[in-house]
Amino acid sequence: MEMLLSTLISALQMGMLFALVALGLAIIFGVMNIVNFAHGEFLMVGMYTAFLTATIFSIEPLLTLPIAAMVGFLLGIASYYMLVRYLLKGPMIAQLLGTFGLMIFLRYLAMCIFGPDYETLEHGLLIGKSIKLGAVVLSYPRLGTAVLSMLAFGIIYWMMDYTRLGKALKATALDVEAAGYMGIDTERMRGLAWGLGGATVGIAGALLINFYYVFPTIGILFCMIAFATVALGGFGSIKGAFIAGLIMGMIIDLGGTYIGPQYKFALVYLTFFLVVVIRPKGLFGW
Amino acid sequence: MQIRTLKDALSFGDLPASERIGFILFIIFCLIFPWIIKGGFAQAVMIQFLIFCLYGLGWNLIGGYGGQVALGQAKNVGMSAYTVALLIVRWDIPFWVCTPLGVLVATVESFVLGYFLFRLRGHYFAIATIAVSLVWQQLFINWNFVGGARGIELPLRETPNFIYMQFVSPIYYHYFAFVLVMIAILYMNWFRKSRLGYQLRAITANEEVAESLGINIHWVKVKTYCITGVFAGMGGAFYTVYYNYIDPFSVMHLELSIMIALMTMIGGAGSMWGPIIGAMILIPLDRYLGAWLGGRGIIGVDFMIYAMMVMIISAYEPKGIWGIIEKARRKR
Repeated sequence: MEMLLSTLISALQMGMLFALVALGLAIIFGVMNIVNFAHGEFLMVGMYTAFLTATIFSIEPLLTLPIAAMVGFLLGIASYYMLVRYLLKGPMIAQLLGTFGLMIFLRYLAMCIFGPDYETLEHGLLIGKSIKLGAVVLSYPRLGTAVLSMLAFGIIYWMMDYTRLGKALKATALDVEAAGYMGIDTERMRGLAWGLGGATVGIAGALLINFYYVFPTIGILFCMIAFATVALGGFGSIKGAFIAGLIMGMIIDLGGTYIGPQYKFALVYLTFFLVVVIRPKGLFGW
Repeated sequence: MQIRTLKDALSFGDLPASERIGFILFIIFCLIFPWIIKGGFAQAVMIQFLIFCLYGLGWNLIGGYGGQVALGQAKNVGMSAYTVALLIVRWDIPFWVCTPLGVLVATVESFVLGYFLFRLRGHYFAIATIAVSLVWQQLFINWNFVGGARGIELPLRETPNFIYMQFVSPIYYHYFAFVLVMIAILYMNWFRKSRLGYQLRAITANEEVAESLGINIHWVKVKTYCITGVFAGMGGAFYTVYYNYIDPFSVMHLELSIMIALMTMIGGAGSMWGPIIGAMILIPLDRYLGAWLGGRGIIGVDFMIYAMMVMIISAYEPKGIWGIIEKARRKR
């Protein structure tokens, strides 16, 4: 019972992070119907950014959040203007393999610079601390990550619904031509969607580094989790990404505890497979 | 009927003379290669080139002609490779019996998966194939019966053995791989003129129109996917006896699927010679660059170069190098 409770809490905490990772993918897919295979690599870039700034300047890892967000934002914008803009003109196979190329490029760039080693942060406000509440042990890094992920998610959600910018993004997602007629600079909105996607996943990376190790090939794992999350929630749906993120956290942590840790990621892929086969539009898709 | 099929497969008459000459040069090059170049590394690279030609020609059916981004070729290779290796190691069954069984397993697996996966389109399909191949890889890593992460090693025979396809000299492997590639090319030559080939290209061009012409889209895709499985299965069986060792990281790895897709894409997806051109560029580049850079402790640069190539190709010329050649020819 205690094990179940602590697993559930840990699952919820991870789920919030997964939701934040999936959010960027959902925004990008929603606005221009393209799947960003490099999304996991964006996360890796965010992690390395946070890791390097925290170790080189020996500052508190949580303060690297804005830097990671900025780097992610610039990376997203650069990918859009230098690559994706041209891909959108081509057939779908080119779109898929183009972002795939970006993924491989970033992955092996990291491999080339940092080598295949696993790195972790050792010092920080949250790192290595935990609190005991009754029978349940809450680890600070996970708790902090969950709270900050929720916060970031909430800000984006609010922005999408209540600001002019968010409304313009949504309009572009619904109908590019009509949005253009309304005077929305759709090209800029698309670039912005990539920037936002990169920024949110950069923040997720900077949070993840507090309790997870970073290595160059981490991307595909989180990329697949994000795909599964987004597919479960419905491609392009932000609310769906949140709920699906929590479900994903449950599947991974409960599966890891009760079936076997070596199968927990196979479960993610299996979930994804079942979702796309049985209900391709996901829980909240349109 | 059979004679017509054979005639279609053997006649290259509808191709321009330049392509026919190129093809003959390719055959001559492959035939005399082991007699001119004696270096062990070069011969190994050549055999790898032939294996990848086989993979690429197979992937080109579904990825190029069919326009479906199936990123799971490695699992077909792996299914067949594992079947062959297990049968040889556990029951000592000759290679010539194992191979049809391995190909059969790969094909049946493709059929079952394709049947479900081809309900999906576009992005969903591509990601689902990745998901499936990752599941298979995880299963094979954790499954002790098939050797787990350690893989399977085939027993070495004392004398060169035709029944188990074990030779000391790579020349035999070279010619065997060459025969497989030739069969694949002849098959492709038949395929592009066949009913299935036309149906598939109609689907790629416009699914709705193809459907309204009475083509059973789902069935055509599944059939093509099975044929892709046959090609990959042949490649996997050959891979097993050539290396005498397989593990989930060499034959089930997503990187192999990616490599096959990138190679075909660079060479020119949806054209007959595209996969061969792609393999001709990428495989020697990969092996020599990898060896050269690896010797200096630099890792990853080779993959960065392919990634750059693929990004440029998909942004500017989605038809690959073959597309550039055709454009130049049309201008003349």
